[in-house]
Amino acid sequence: MTDRAQYTPGPAGGARIEKEPVQGSEDKWTLVLVRELRHSPEKVWQALTDPAHLREWAPFEADGSLARVGTTVKLTTVAAPTPQVSETRVTRADAPKALEYNWGGFDIRWELEGFRGGTRLTLWHNINRRFISMGAAGWHICLDVLDHLLGGNPIGRIVGGDAMKFDWQRLNVEYAKQFGIEAPSWPPKAAQKS
Amino acid sequence: MKIKIMSLYVDDQDKALRFYTEVLGFAKKTDFSQGPYRWLTLVSPEDPDGTELQLALNNNPAAQTYQQAMFQQSQPAAMFFTNDIKADFERIKARGAEFTMPPTDVTASIIAMLKDTCGNLIQLTQLKRY
Repeated sequence: MTDRAQYTPGPAGGARIEKEPVQGSEDKWTLVLVRELRHSPEKVWQALTDPAHLREWAPFEADGSLARVGTTVKLTTVAAPTPQVSETRVTRADAPKALEYNWGGFDIRWELEGFRGGTRLTLWHNINRRFISMGAAGWHICLDVLDHLLGGNPIGRIVGGDAMKFDWQRLNVEYAKQFGIEAPSWPPKAAQKS
Repeated sequence: MKIKIMSLYVDDQDKALRFYTEVLGFAKKTDFSQGPYRWLTLVSPEDPDGTELQLALNNNPAAQTYQQAMFQQSQPAAMFFTNDIKADFERIKARGAEFTMPPTDVTASIIAMLKDTCGNLIQLTQLKRY
């Protein structure tokens, strides 16, 4: 058995939603995920910014490094039902502490803090609120894969339909419960009123 | 092989979902997201396992150019069939939709055209029986 075949995500955890009121509209929701990694911030930084490392764990392909502020990089969502490429500009890159860019209209912010010889990694992603538990489930699996990669034991990217084979549906339901929201149904059932 | 889905570009998927369900009366079928990508489809409640309509975000220049050109030339982006165009015209108009053409007799059919508020013209068609 390979490590990939043996991988099963643990229970949902380490995530919360930040809610920010917006005048005349629904609150803006941001998904916040915190993960403790047994690797140095420098090493984690490389995995967050270098296209060759991103390819091993991230839900997108980058055609250039994300490590310099002001650079423009094309991000291609992996395994989207139709091709999805978005141009992004790195708006903050303080190695190895903070990284900010936009992914297809949604802001992504990473913060790295030294923690017990490793790194406490925090992700902010202002994903559409309707899909926030789906996003938490997807990032949960991606960060597990990142952890394997950093440990010198890569198991290969798990995104899109692949994630269904690795308990993504369970995580979607668990995160929805933790957030106090209704889990978006997947796979879809019958037609439903909106 | 089957014809299962048709895609329509819209400038805002949330707004489009409201219009196509609340005003036109279709039902949501699938709605999921992967990163910035959102797959959103509708069906007719009269045919819940039938052909789906995908509401795709026009977030690329080719889609925007195509959509605007079609609209400016009064070309419908999609055509829906009905057995009672007068009743559908009244029902949809009463819910606030703007028609650019009321039910009008043409060859073999009666057609009407309305704005979907998301950048498109939609044609309603009722076939005539001879």
